[in-house]
Amino acid sequence: MRIIKNVIDNLNGLMQKNKYLKTFKPVMNAMDEFFFGTDKVTSLPHIVDNMDIKRLMSFVIIALLPVTIASIYFWGLRVLLVIAVSYAFGGLIEVCFAIFRKKEIHEGFLVTGLIFPLILPPGVPLWVVAVGSMFGVMFGKEVFGGTGRNIFNPAIAGRIFLTIAFPDIMTMHWQMPFSKGLGGFIHFQNTVDAVTTATPLVMFKNQGVIAPYLNLMFGQSAGCIGETFRIGIILGGLFLIVMRIVDWRLPLAYLATVVIFPYISNHLIHTQFALGGFQLLSGGLLLGAFFMATDPVTSPFTKQGRWIAGFLLGFLTVLIRGLSGYVEGVMFSILLINAFTPLIDTMVLKVRYKKK
Amino acid sequence: MLKPVRTFRGGYEFKNFNGQARPVIIENQLPAMVTIPLKQGFGTELKSMVKKGDVVFAGQTIARDDSVVSSPIHSSVNGVVEEVRRVNYFKRQTAMVIIRTTNASKEIPRIEGCSLDWARLSNEKIEELIYLSGVSSLDREGIPTRFKSSIIPPEEVKHLIVHGVGSEPYNISLELLLKDKNLLNFLEGVKILKRIMPNSKVHLSLNVKKKNIIEQVAKLTSQLEWLDIYPLEPKYPQGYDEMLVPTILNQNFPYGYSAANIGVVILNIQAVLGVYEAVCEGKPFIERIIAICGPSIKDNLHIKVRVGTSLKDILAQRVKIETPVRVVMNSLLTGFQLNDISLPVDRTFSHVIAIPEKREREFLSFMKPGKTKDSYTRAFLAEMLPWVKRSPDTNKHGEERPCISCGFCERTCPVKIIPHLLAKYVQRNLIDETIMNYGIFNCIECGLCSYVCPSKISLMKIIKDGQDKLTMQGCDSAQCILPYFNLKGIEEYRGVTKL
Repeated sequence: MRIIKNVIDNLNGLMQKNKYLKTFKPVMNAMDEFFFGTDKVTSLPHIVDNMDIKRLMSFVIIALLPVTIASIYFWGLRVLLVIAVSYAFGGLIEVCFAIFRKKEIHEGFLVTGLIFPLILPPGVPLWVVAVGSMFGVMFGKEVFGGTGRNIFNPAIAGRIFLTIAFPDIMTMHWQMPFSKGLGGFIHFQNTVDAVTTATPLVMFKNQGVIAPYLNLMFGQSAGCIGETFRIGIILGGLFLIVMRIVDWRLPLAYLATVVIFPYISNHLIHTQFALGGFQLLSGGLLLGAFFMATDPVTSPFTKQGRWIAGFLLGFLTVLIRGLSGYVEGVMFSILLINAFTPLIDTMVLKVRYKKK
Repeated sequence: MLKPVRTFRGGYEFKNFNGQARPVIIENQLPAMVTIPLKQGFGTELKSMVKKGDVVFAGQTIARDDSVVSSPIHSSVNGVVEEVRRVNYFKRQTAMVIIRTTNASKEIPRIEGCSLDWARLSNEKIEELIYLSGVSSLDREGIPTRFKSSIIPPEEVKHLIVHGVGSEPYNISLELLLKDKNLLNFLEGVKILKRIMPNSKVHLSLNVKKKNIIEQVAKLTSQLEWLDIYPLEPKYPQGYDEMLVPTILNQNFPYGYSAANIGVVILNIQAVLGVYEAVCEGKPFIERIIAICGPSIKDNLHIKVRVGTSLKDILAQRVKIETPVRVVMNSLLTGFQLNDISLPVDRTFSHVIAIPEKREREFLSFMKPGKTKDSYTRAFLAEMLPWVKRSPDTNKHGEERPCISCGFCERTCPVKIIPHLLAKYVQRNLIDETIMNYGIFNCIECGLCSYVCPSKISLMKIIKDGQDKLTMQGCDSAQCILPYFNLKGIEEYRGVTKL
């Protein structure tokens, strides 16, 4: 503790002297606050909750840990490199904007930087990760004014940009995960049957094959880095809901719609729409529903709005998966509903506060 | 009759704070000097009837004015008037009578006409006793009597709510207040009040967790058909008038006005005990039971003090001086900070709370398991260890950050407004009828939104600023209330004091 204090004090001293180093003040402040907390005291009320944004974000990361560890097992140690690149380049943009704006660095990026690599294909080249992370933070968040003002989820924005800009890299190269022994913990990456398989959603679309649910649940299927270990995602999501950090309404509405709606559409065109159980356990649905659609900034803040958004998300996801050329229904529907969030809230408020 | 448990939507239960006052009472010694404010509790400030050099006795009326809404004020010791001067008392210049104690006798002369057999007394006499004792100035709108002690006359009272919910982080002990004979006295007090407010229905609300007391009261009052007992969840801010009326009476509250305006009188347990003592024992209300709470107090208990005793006399020897301390009056969420300890206590004091003023920074505080940390979220270990006491301090526990619309403030708001939305409007200076429509004037300033905010935004303060700005533009809370309510007594002096 004292060592860190000394380091920070020394660096601060250096910054006082050097004019150019002074611009990096926000970085120092962020570090200082990160390690030592605040010395400010309350005015009224005299006591405040012990929860702060740092702990809030740390808990989201804790909830993502099982998935992250499992993804290392499935896809090899290279996942760590992908995460590091995502943090480094996304963080760079964050720091640049903080210096440019002369504002402090906010903690929101801690979560974005981890979620973003989890929704990329395992074989993604590192430069693509860097480009996507930078794009996501810049155009998903910073151009709108930073944390709390963004319209779109930065991770989703980055991912969609990559999907459209590099369709070949993002949609063609899928690997089968490690499944034996220590798996990815002792391998850098899977080379044996890389680029040979397709994701369960694509298999259904092309051949009408439905993967076994147990395999989907425990990660034995192709897919993005963090979306295949579904049992871990469910546990992580429930953990956040129990901790009261995430509201249960939106995930419930989303998942319920995805389960129920296909039963109706399956009757109409059953080659296009898979049944609810498969829809639930395939693609990035669970990761999206628990960790991305619930991002408080970009989802409606009214309770009714959350029900509505959840329902629309489910509806759109099933439609996009069933009828469009893309299988990335979750990603596109979250982006679309993010854009509609202010409208949903406004409508709810209009109804709630109708003039008597 | 015992009613089922009730509660309201929103709110937050402060559980298990360290430094709750034990149910033990000791009498504080008589102070050498008392300072008696001439405005105590509900009512206008009075003019002193004594001047420098006058000899006064304990319980002697030193200020009274029957022509304005007020209650008499007494000297609390036997002594000589040293001075009458104006002092800044809780942001208000208030006249104070300063009396030097000359006779340390603890005797208090009785008010004439009191009788243990109060049923024989006439209504006029009972009301006079209540008025003369000064009890009638207690609580937000006083106790109505035929003297101008409240804004409505007693016969207009439709409901009388007596509450002992204890929803604050620190509460005065219900067991202590209603111990042994006090419980019977309390019920006598309720009967007296029913007698002077004949058209009222009495609602007794108690903390649902105090099963013993509820049982006892229910047994003792089973014969009274005009009295209902409501066990309430001790969720903050249940003890507020604004929350008691909707939960108990299922009635809308005219936010910004008082319960008396809709014919409801709300009293706490000490006030009712005071009524009993005034009518049956003839005691002027010059003593007050105060709970001394908080982790910075050496021994948490209750003390009985004379009105006018300075805080110095109460807190000296009792506060831990090793660390800086913040002393707060009555409530940790809304109470005044007591910086000047030469100020006296008045009739409205019920708690003095001392918590550590923590300016030290904590290393990696957000990563600590948090065994003693209280939080609305369940993300601290304290939530899983119900036997561990939580220790409050004044640190902000985090930096101020932009709002992420997490919705904690909306979920806890007891009056169903959306604090973060209103705050965004106010901060962007979009002050117009929209925010009035969103219910900015419904805010009861309970402070819960500021408490739960993980971004450490002072929502309550911002909302209050918004209200002030809106009022300056000519919008008033009256516009939200008056068309929908038939209020009584608003032409009278409005003494609603938001402390």
